[in-house]
Formats: sequence, structure tokens, C-alpha cells
Amino acid sequence: MNWTCEQTEFRLTDYLDGLLAAEEQHAFDVHVNSCARCTPLVRDVTQTVSRLHLLPELAAPPRLVYNILDATLGPRETVTGWAAVLGFLRGIASPRFAYGSLSVAATFLMLVTASGFNWKKPRLADLSPTSIYRNTNRQVHLVYARGTKYVSDLRVVYEIQSRLRQDNELPTGNESTVPEAAPQKQPGSTDGTSPATPRQQNRANDSHSHLEVLAEELPFLSGKLSLVSSGKLGIAMSGKLIFPVSGKL
Amino acid sequence: MEQDAQLVQQCLQGDGSAWEELVRRHSRRIFNICYRFTGNRTEAEDLSQDVFLRVYRTLGSYRSAHGGFATWMTSVTRNLLIDHYRRTKRDRSTDSLDDAMPAVESKESTGRRPDEQALLSELSAQVQVALTHLSPELREAVILRDLQQLEYSEIQAVLAVPEGTVKSRINRGRIELARILQQMGVRPS
Repeated sequence: MNWTCEQTEFRLTDYLDGLLAAEEQHAFDVHVNSCARCTPLVRDVTQTVSRLHLLPELAAPPRLVYNILDATLGPRETVTGWAAVLGFLRGIASPRFAYGSLSVAATFLMLVTASGFNWKKPRLADLSPTSIYRNTNRQVHLVYARGTKYVSDLRVVYEIQSRLRQDNELPTGNESTVPEAAPQKQPGSTDGTSPATPRQQNRANDSHSHLEVLAEELPFLSGKLSLVSSGKLGIAMSGKLIFPVSGKL
Repeated sequence: MEQDAQLVQQCLQGDGSAWEELVRRHSRRIFNICYRFTGNRTEAEDLSQDVFLRVYRTLGSYRSAHGGFATWMTSVTRNLLIDHYRRTKRDRSTDSLDDAMPAVESKESTGRRPDEQALLSELSAQVQVALTHLSPELREAVILRDLQQLEYSEIQAVLAVPEGTVKSRINRGRIELARILQQMGVRPS
């Protein structure tokens, strides 16, 4: 079957729609593959159709529907006065709007408070950009300092915990190296009869009370904290100094 | 389709909400036909409004036995577009392919990457320019077939021409469009 360039052009839509008979399709393919004029034609038209199919369906302008309805059914009744106000309030009296408003208000309050605004003595000067910057800077540094202190405290507690754990794991033979505390005295305390100086006596008593507070705060240390009486102040377990504290008795 | 016919009946009985429903169901499609034909959003919006006005006034002449409401409406749209084309022909006599490209088409998100989206937008704008340089009879045939995806029988009903003529116009329209795109320097990807 002979196929001509005119036939290619005339039957191009049938080819793209897959409507050519098998014999026609074969003749079409043979011709197009060997024709310098038809090869680019088929390629360009195929691509053009693909591009047309890629064109998006646009959204109609939002006002179009209302304009059409106004032009056909007539303008909608407009509400004025108190009825309009009530209608507006009814429109915003929805949980969605309320939650949104509350979250916006809370965010605003937090930001203003964080910038150092004093709600008890409000001053317009507190809202100037310089004051806001200065106060915010101060707040940030304060938060940073508190955070650092908290982390530092945590480190102390973990240090105590790890030392206690290490001590628990020590073999019992080492116990012999630990100095025995005097039976009639509590480690780290004085008998109160012959302190070296009144100040030393007070310091020892203070340390003892601090350890009692620490033992209350950290129940797992209960019964394991004491003061070493070998002249050094610190936390001891079974008579062994495990966490020295600066200062001496 | 049956729902459209039912809504039309309700409209004819004076039900405003049925008309509103019809407007909402068809406004986007009619706007797209008008935009692809004119290449101008403002004109497309005005023409869409005119289409619905005419449909509203002539709703009593619609007979569901003669075809679907959508086809009838498309036919009304096509007639208005051709009238508009004839009215404004003189204004466009100086148009050329060198005219400024239309603004990049705004559309809903398609989930494509930004670079792909930008390329597609540019390509869409080029194809839109090429479309407006087709003769109106070829343009309407291509729009109805390749953009509105209508069957040949539906296009035949809208254009009121034999099916052979419909196919011939679509064929010529596609070839002409490919030639215009080539002239514009849009190379095959």
C-alpha cells in the first residue's frame, strides 16, 4: 500500500486517535519513517497535542458566580444596622474563630511579657524598640544562665550517683583502708565540747544540716551520706570520702 | 446530565437555588472555554457572565431530548464567542506573534517542583498565545477536542457541522498550531 504526504497530513488525527486500520497504520509508519517532510510534522503535531493536554484548567474568578447571580436573580438583600452587627457577630461566634483569637492573644501576651513589659506599672516607654530589645536581651541571658546552672546541678547529682555506684562495686577488701570513725562520734561532727574554734564548729554543723537536706532530696542516698572526720569535709559512704567539698573542718 | 435537566426544570418553576447550583456547576468550564478562546481573563469573565445571562433568558427553549444541558450551554458559549470575535476583529488586526506574552497563568498547586512548574507555566503561556493566532473555526475545534475533551459527536452538535468537517478542522487546527509554535521558537522538548 502506497502512502503519500497528503494522506499523512489528512489522516493525522485518525493516527493520533488510533483509528487507522492495521494496513494503513503500517503504510503510515513506513512512509513517515522515510519521509523528511512527514517525520517532523508528525513529531511536532504529536507534541503540540501533548502540550494542549498539559494546559491546566483555570479556576474561575471567585466573584464570577456572584456577578452572574446578581445579574440574573437580582442583587441579594443587604442587611444594615443592628441586624448587620448581629450577623457579623454570629459569623465570628464559631469555635474555630474563638480558638484562633485565643491563640493569637496568648502569643501576643507572651511576647509582650517576655520583652519585659510590666503589666502592673505599664509605661509607653517599655514598648519602644530599644526597650524591647534591651529587655529581651536581658531575658535571654537570664534564661541562659538559669539553664546553665540547672545543667551544672544535674552534673553534680549524676557525679554523686556514679561515685556511689562505683563504690558499691568495689571489692570488700578495700574496706580495711578506710579509716574507722570513732564509735562515740558521728563522722564529720564534733562533740561540741572542745571545738578548735567556734567558726569551725558552726561550719561542721552547717555541713551536717546540708547533708540532711540532700538526703531528703535524694532518697536513694539515704543512710549513705555522712561527713568524714579526718579533717576533710565531704560526702562519705561507709566511712570513705567519695565526694570532697571545698573547705576543712 | 439528568441532574442538570432536573435543575433546569426547577429553575423554570422559579427555584432560585436550582439556578445557583447550575451556575456553580458550569461556571468554571464556561470560563475556561472563554479564556482559551480569547486569551484574556477579563474578557473571559465578561463573556462567561453574558453566556449565563443568555442561558437564563432562553432556558425555556432547552429540550433535554435534543442533547445534554452541557452541550447546549457550550453551543450558546460558542455562538457568543464567535459574535465577540467578529465584533472585535478590527481591534486585533494589528496583533502579531511578537506581542507580549500573557501573564503567567495562576492555577492550583499541582505538586510539581518549582522549576517544573515555572517551565510548565511558560509553556502554557506560549501555547495560549499560539491558540489565539489560530482562525476562530480551527481554534474552537481544537479547544473543544483537546482542552474540553469532548467526543466528536458532541463537537458536531455544538458546531452544527458534519463529523467529517469536525475531524478536518481539528486536524488542520493541530497542524497549524504546531507550525505557529515553531514560528514562535518553541522547540520540541
